[in-house]
Amino acid sequence: MIEFEGVAKIYEGHREALSDVNFRLAPGEMAFLTGHSGAGKSTLLRLILGLEKSSSGIVRVAGSDLSTLSGEKLARYRRRVGVVFQDPNLEDDLSVYDNVALPLRISGFSESEIPKRVKAALSRVDLSDQANARPRFLSGGQQQRVGIARAIVHRPALLVADEPTGNLDPELSARVMRMFTQFQQLGVTILVATHERAVVDSLPFRRLVIEKGRLVSDGMGSR
Amino acid sequence: MARWILDHLQAIKDAWRRTADRLTQFVVLVCLLGILLAIPGWLAQIWLSMAYLVPEEAVQSEAIVFLNKELDVEARIELERVLNEMREIEQVIFVAKNVALKELSAQDGLGPIADLQVNNPLPDALRVKFSIRALKKSENNIITTLLADKRVLSLRYFPSTRVQYSSLVEKLGLLGVGLSGLAVLGVAMAVFLVAAADVVDDQRRIELYTLLGASRSFIRRPYLYRATWLGVLSGFIACLVITSLNELFSSDFALNLKVLDSSLEYLPVDSRTLIGVATVAIFASWVGAERAVSRRLNALY
Repeated sequence: MIEFEGVAKIYEGHREALSDVNFRLAPGEMAFLTGHSGAGKSTLLRLILGLEKSSSGIVRVAGSDLSTLSGEKLARYRRRVGVVFQDPNLEDDLSVYDNVALPLRISGFSESEIPKRVKAALSRVDLSDQANARPRFLSGGQQQRVGIARAIVHRPALLVADEPTGNLDPELSARVMRMFTQFQQLGVTILVATHERAVVDSLPFRRLVIEKGRLVSDGMGSR
Repeated sequence: MARWILDHLQAIKDAWRRTADRLTQFVVLVCLLGILLAIPGWLAQIWLSMAYLVPEEAVQSEAIVFLNKELDVEARIELERVLNEMREIEQVIFVAKNVALKELSAQDGLGPIADLQVNNPLPDALRVKFSIRALKKSENNIITTLLADKRVLSLRYFPSTRVQYSSLVEKLGLLGVGLSGLAVLGVAMAVFLVAAADVVDDQRRIELYTLLGASRSFIRRPYLYRATWLGVLSGFIACLVITSLNELFSSDFALNLKVLDSSLEYLPVDSRTLIGVATVAIFASWVGAERAVSRRLNALY
């Protein structure tokens, strides 16, 4: 699903954010991307989301070389990817329902299809009773779950999460990770960037460790 | 329903929701921009309505060209034709000597026309009306040429006030145009910046929509609708203010100016002012929003 071949990213001022990164993530696989702050995790995710272009090497997702995509093609690619942020990034002037429906409206789903999908996504994150609430009246954990529902509502083949448990207590973090595990079991490819060792150690998934822009370790974790 | 209609409906809904959520801010902005736009609009209205107030002789020079008595008809017609073809001359009217005599008799109480008609002392004449755009230099050149012409006996030149005080009028005109231009530019920039600031506030939202796969036009649309409403409403308020000010002042103007022209009872609002104000408002706010969203989107990749 995700393929990095000799990828490097050099920003202006010759700062090397990534250097010779190589890895492959198979469809339906789940992996953690770990490393200290500033190690290059966010740059790697930005490359996957098409927000940056690699300086050299190839980033391929679902067979598409992302460096060749631009404009409408890039937008179409992003519609097939789910994104979860550390800060859920919800729109305060929209209800929970409308926040979750946003990717469907952007993708042009019919108005008859949207309610079914939104209900299913909200039920998956146990927030069916909060559909009409405004995000600012929800707790941090509930807001994060709304963000997750929004990321999966259009049933993406790939889910990318950037520090999804960064603002949550251990109990809520474990709940969010359980959700990711369930999505993985449904066949979604998941890449979770985190620097929380406890989260990574609690689950038996592949670990990509990045340090100073280099992939220094790629192996399975254990409980 | 076609996809693009749904997209536009979605954008209108989105723009309306965002406007309703910050209604007070939006209303204050509309009123503020409306009043700002009314300032150059009102200046333009005064400028344009001056045309109704200025008497013709103030802007249009005239000359009475007396023709030689021995001049035959062909030579006179040729002179008329040459003058008529000049860009600086608007109209040439032939005044026959018997008509001139009648007029003089009526005006100045000369002896009975019948006594003078046999031995009319007046020459035939051409009444030359210069164009209101003719420059002082061009008018002087034409007068010099006519004085040197053998077909002309003599002439009387009545330069307009505009020509008499040409250097002062031109400088004041230039100053007026310059100040009005600056006022329009300042207001257009204010409208532009207000529309752009609305977008800058929403950088986080634009990034989110980009990540969710929204196309550039999908992201841009609600801002453009909101900017258009801002432009239309502030333009409307400006037109309302200009019309009200005109209502308030024109009757007083007209009352005092009746001495000059009894037909002058009301100074109408010049439609060019209203169209200009509305166009500047809509165009500036639309361009402001468009430029700001494009810059945000370009910075994202």
